Amino acid sequence: MGKTVLIVDDSNTMRKIVSRALRQAGIDFSTILEAGDGQEALAVLSANDVDVVLSDINMPNMNGLEFLKAKAEDPAIKDIPVVMISTETGADIIDEAKSYGAKGAIKKPFTPELINDTLGALL
Amino acid sequence: MEYAQDIIDSTQDIFSSMIMLDVTPGESFKRSDEKLSNSISGIIGLAGNTKGMLAIHMTNQAALAVTTAFLGMDVEEIDEDVRDAIGELANMLAGSIKSILDPGGSDIKLSMPSAIYGEDYTIDCLADAQSVTVPFAFDGMGFMVELQLRKDS
Repeated sequence: MGKTVLIVDDSNTMRKIVSRALRQAGIDFSTILEAGDGQEALAVLSANDVDVVLSDINMPNMNGLEFLKAKAEDPAIKDIPVVMISTETGADIIDEAKSYGAKGAIKKPFTPELINDTLGALL
Repeated sequence: MEYAQDIIDSTQDIFSSMIMLDVTPGESFKRSDEKLSNSISGIIGLAGNTKGMLAIHMTNQAALAVTTAFLGMDVEEIDEDVRDAIGELANMLAGSIKSILDPGGSDIKLSMPSAIYGEDYTIDCLADAQSVTVPFAFDGMGFMVELQLRKDS
């Protein structure tokens, strides 16, 4: 049975690009869910069985770091792995994201191969 | 101003890996405040110990071609998809330049992307900022990437 991924990004364009890259990477996701910010992502995670989350950092309303903190406080969803996918991949920011439970980081621009390598270790 | 080569490297990397377009850089220059016509600009503000902006200025024709290639679907007018795509290009370029200016990532903050478009408009940033603009060409079309910076001592 295929797996479910949640893409969190305020840019509709980037959500489409990530979806396309996932297909090109050859990972067998049966369902691709989307959210436009951290608040929407928390709601999607609470209502669906999600195997992995790809989340932007710089978003309105609730950014990626705030999303990680809120998710870590909810026992029902805290163990779902999250990989940050962002233009913001400075060491300080990534260390902060990992302290909140992020499992890795992918820098934009990215390639399907990079996504495959990063997610392959988690799935 | 320095950073022209960084702009070239970042722009070529983003366009080749995300849009599958080879873009050719021209000679960098200092852009004055002349009007942009029938164009769209994606803009990211920089704040912190280095302030300024990163902007990508595209003619409407170039923006439609880039968005069509970016999304893999035909786009025929400057709509929300185009504004979002050009803003996201500016976002990736700013992130790349930020990683050079601020390797740790905590000294400079990037704004959310914004897009401006119209028949005639001008863009002003910091009056005392240094700036550099690099023109690029692809398939007979062109665009510019502009960086304005002011480092606080």
